[in-house]
Amino acid sequence: MSDAETLDGMSTVEVRTSATAALIPTIRAVASDLAARADFDLDAISDLRMAVDEACATLVDAADPTSVLQCRFLVRPERIRVHAEVETAKADTVLSTDTFGWRVLQTLADDVEVLHEAGVDGRRATVGIRLDKSAGDVPR
Amino acid sequence: MSDAAPDPFGVGLPLDTQLSRPRPGSVLLAVDGEIDTLTAARLQAGVDEAVEAARADGASVVADLSGVTFLASSGLAVLIGAARRLAELGGRLHLVAASRAVTRPLQVTGADALFDIHDDVTSALATARFPDVAPPPGEVGR
Repeated sequence: MSDAETLDGMSTVEVRTSATAALIPTIRAVASDLAARADFDLDAISDLRMAVDEACATLVDAADPTSVLQCRFLVRPERIRVHAEVETAKADTVLSTDTFGWRVLQTLADDVEVLHEAGVDGRRATVGIRLDKSAGDVPR
Repeated sequence: MSDAAPDPFGVGLPLDTQLSRPRPGSVLLAVDGEIDTLTAARLQAGVDEAVEAARADGASVVADLSGVTFLASSGLAVLIGAARRLAELGGRLHLVAASRAVTRPLQVTGADALFDIHDDVTSALATARFPDVAPPPGEVGR
């Protein structure tokens, strides 16, 4: 993610935890809080909380045990973009997207994308999920 | 994971399940807490016990999810699995689901069609019977 997208003067929140399932409740609580304060309707708040949980759970499964789980929330008018990322032990780690959880994630979010980045210049390979959720019901 | 794990968050959030028999022919599984990838195993254990009671005693199963404040796909999968096993036995899984934290995931995923969903325990127990498919004549309209 480029700095231009992150630092555009709008509300951005980043949460970094150890990549462990035990800390996902903290991240989904942040998601829920941000959606509520951004005037999301109650269904959309519930959907975002669940979508963030599914995304983080998928990433933690693929993460190197010593990885950080980085979750960035870009709060925009009428929508929130979430970018979650972990470091992987191997450069060719791929997320399993043939799971029930992944289908649920696709249903909950308006748009979901998997992002793989091979490690370069001594940095570890990462795998991430970007998801968008709008404040209210949108036609699908 | 060791019992002496030093990490206070290691086992996830509390999730309590309690099995009771509020009336003959029904088992009630009360679930309280957040159901996610870590706590789903505890839900699974409670659900297994309830389904076993249905199988052994011909009891209907009501899962009271009134105290559930979060339901992830891992929890949904446990409930769906239980509904399938009960269906094989001729029963239905009755859920008490009143809060959005439970009803929304059921609705969004379409899983609500797999369960009999009730607003409160009283109405769930009044309706739940086992087997559900063909109640004996004396039971109809009770």
